[in-house]
Amino acid sequence: MMEAATNTGGDWLRLIVGLIVVLIFSQLNALFLVWLERKVAGHIQLRYGPMEVGPHGLLQTIVDGIKLVGKELITPFKADKKLFVIAPVLVFMPVLIPFLVLPFGPELIIRDMNVGLLLIFAFSTFSVLAILVGGWASNNKYALLGAMRSVAQNVAYEIPLLLSVMSVVLMVHSFKFSELVMAQHRVWFVFLQPVAAIIYFICATAETNRAPFDIPEAESELVAGFHTEYSGMRFGLFFLAEYTNMFIVSAVATSLFMGGWHGPFGWSLGIPGVIWFLAKTYFLLFVLMWFRWTFPRVRFDQLMNFSWKVLIPLSMLNLLVTALVVKFV
Amino acid sequence: MAEHFAEPVRQHLYSLNLGPQHPSTHGVLRILLTLDGEYIVEADPVIGYGHRGHEKMGENRTYLQFMPNTSRIDYLSGLLFNHGFCLAVEKLAGIEPPERARYIRVICAELNRISSHLLWFGTYLMDLGAFTPFLYCFDDRENILDILDRVSGSRLTYSYCRFGGVTRDIDDVFIEQTRAFVKRLRSRWKDYHNLVTKNVIFIHRTRDVGVIDKDLARRFGVTGPNLRAAGVPFDMRKVEPYEVYDRFDFQIPVGEKGDALDRYRVRLEEMEQSCRIIEQALDQLPDGPYRQERVRLKVKPPRGEVYFAFESARGLTAYYLVSDGSPYPYRCHVRVPSFGNLHCLTEVFRETLVADAISILGSIDIVVPEIDR
Amino acid sequence: MAAREEVVRRLQELLGEAALRPDEAYAQGVSWTVQAPAPSLPDVLRVFRDAGFYLESITGLDFKDTMEIVYHMNTYEPRSRMALRVLCPHDGEVPSATGLYDSALWQEREVWEFTGVRFSGHPDLRPLLLPEDMDERPLRKTFGTVHAYRKREEIYG
Repeated sequence: MMEAATNTGGDWLRLIVGLIVVLIFSQLNALFLVWLERKVAGHIQLRYGPMEVGPHGLLQTIVDGIKLVGKELITPFKADKKLFVIAPVLVFMPVLIPFLVLPFGPELIIRDMNVGLLLIFAFSTFSVLAILVGGWASNNKYALLGAMRSVAQNVAYEIPLLLSVMSVVLMVHSFKFSELVMAQHRVWFVFLQPVAAIIYFICATAETNRAPFDIPEAESELVAGFHTEYSGMRFGLFFLAEYTNMFIVSAVATSLFMGGWHGPFGWSLGIPGVIWFLAKTYFLLFVLMWFRWTFPRVRFDQLMNFSWKVLIPLSMLNLLVTALVVKFV
Repeated sequence: MAEHFAEPVRQHLYSLNLGPQHPSTHGVLRILLTLDGEYIVEADPVIGYGHRGHEKMGENRTYLQFMPNTSRIDYLSGLLFNHGFCLAVEKLAGIEPPERARYIRVICAELNRISSHLLWFGTYLMDLGAFTPFLYCFDDRENILDILDRVSGSRLTYSYCRFGGVTRDIDDVFIEQTRAFVKRLRSRWKDYHNLVTKNVIFIHRTRDVGVIDKDLARRFGVTGPNLRAAGVPFDMRKVEPYEVYDRFDFQIPVGEKGDALDRYRVRLEEMEQSCRIIEQALDQLPDGPYRQERVRLKVKPPRGEVYFAFESARGLTAYYLVSDGSPYPYRCHVRVPSFGNLHCLTEVFRETLVADAISILGSIDIVVPEIDR
Repeated sequence: MAAREEVVRRLQELLGEAALRPDEAYAQGVSWTVQAPAPSLPDVLRVFRDAGFYLESITGLDFKDTMEIVYHMNTYEPRSRMALRVLCPHDGEVPSATGLYDSALWQEREVWEFTGVRFSGHPDLRPLLLPEDMDERPLRKTFGTVHAYRKREEIYG
């Protein structure tokens, strides 16, 4: 890894191969997650979920995707056409970049940057902008309400999210993913920083607009929220971006709190790191889905209150305690 | 709610057309909302999309021919409406149904009440964003529909009652299935309470939301579980016992404040009480004929009128029948509970959030075709 | 029971003994029937409201010689429903109950659009269930298929 960084030729090759792999992986992964979500939902709800296409409906989302591609792209009359078209692209671009720095395994990081963690948060914030653009451009009140809610929610939850991450960074003194993961060789940070881990996971749920914090697209209130007016593959891009985002926040949670590619307490049990990493990530994804199909939706003002009055003070306190412990112990 | 947003700034008002095609308006209801941000300044329900003229239809067909109409007024508690219409005509014409028929009707009506409440439970939670309880309720409800399907021949829009009895007798299989269902439903309460009633998000979404107090209820003629949630034990089955309801031991659950949480609790408890009624009715079920043989198809009640009130799943429902001595009703008016229940929302919606409005609308349990008639 | 007795007593003072008819057997589903002239309606309804009654339903009946508006008033006590009947001509008006009962806002709109009886003093008399451009009165006996159009005494004797 370190050697590769000094070799420019190898570095470029690694980046290009990595990008191609990322593109393929993120697409397939999103399709798989959509299938998984429907399966999880089905089994939670006394039914089977998709069963028709492929074994246990495994090819269902691919077929759905083909259907979406074939759909007419409707642009509403009086919509801001340029912004309307650009929003789905905007939402999908930034979700690919975090894959460059995610530590899938000890040797499986495309670029192990020293600002890796910052890069992820910088780009994941970008998707809010796209949602706002999409909601505004649709010229639909439901879409606009959804977009406004989304911005308020993301601003509110970004703060505790970063604060909780900061307490881990304080312990490791690095933003580099490889070092963050290496530091958890023996003990995962979820045991040292349980508060931060819980805050992170709650905020991550809110950041990805997942139930119970799915108020920007609350279908019983706002029909479909910011993507009410989107059809065909434009809608599909919003949809895929949501699932890719879910993967990213779960992957970050895995690397920051769940030991990344390490097995528990340093036992790798002969299983390759990448398998550990993916298993933990998919477990967290499953928990996210479990949330969605169990909880009712919180109300908008309750959501904001919860962030500003509970999560932010709590994460501040946690950060303070961490800083004191790191300094004096 | 009011203290959260002291006095809304009435500057940038805009209107939002909630419905008629909207996931949470339960049928074709349209509410014109005037909003300030996400706060509702004024709400004006626009109804009548499903008006089919049932009252006019009542004037140009015989009493029996009107029977299928009754279950289409409120399609979720069709059998209760059947039952009420039957009782109204029997009272008008002086027909005495045999004992067994009375018990059969009560059992089926209570099953129908449970199915209606179960559907409400599911859709209400779906309005709040929890999708899963909906499918659990439908799983339970399916049992009721199967039971009633076997005995009455239809699953939703029943025409099971006849003047002086019912169309078909019930058999041992029905009794067995009903008992099994009651047992099964009781075993489900634990899940429902763990999953929903104790859920902190659910409690925060419903407590102190959409308070309908006694005074408001009286002004708008709110009845049914919505009124009982405000603490008024007003249930036609107890206040004006019809059929054989006075022979059963059951309670009228009441709430305290009349908020959405109280309405939820009242309805859940009502299902349990209905189970008790069904069990007692099955225990007491007498033998004998299941219908009066001497009733003519074209019932000819004497001149006069009757106002017969009964408790449907949504509240006090009444048939007001005026007879001129012919086989056709001279006037057939239906007093539906959802009418008043929906109307009071114009007041309740004020200064709430759109999200709360959805929660309130769901908690009221309206069936829009019933209002439109 | 108390609310009902109170209303009966005050209405007997207001309208005279003859205007009230008891129905001990509850055969018609009401305990008392009150026949009131249209102008006295606000006073009568005020008596009901003060006693804690709510307005359960308003029905318009069309007879050959007259229209009749029937108010069903009820309170949360057993067997205390009372019917209040008001006669008015076909193109006539009755005073609105909207100042006393909010539920009258919609119920009167409904009666008006279906039978054509106007409610004077109603703040917002526009169609409720019917389309806005409907000019027929569907629950009049002159509309659609009906089996009989009778005078009032043919039914109530």
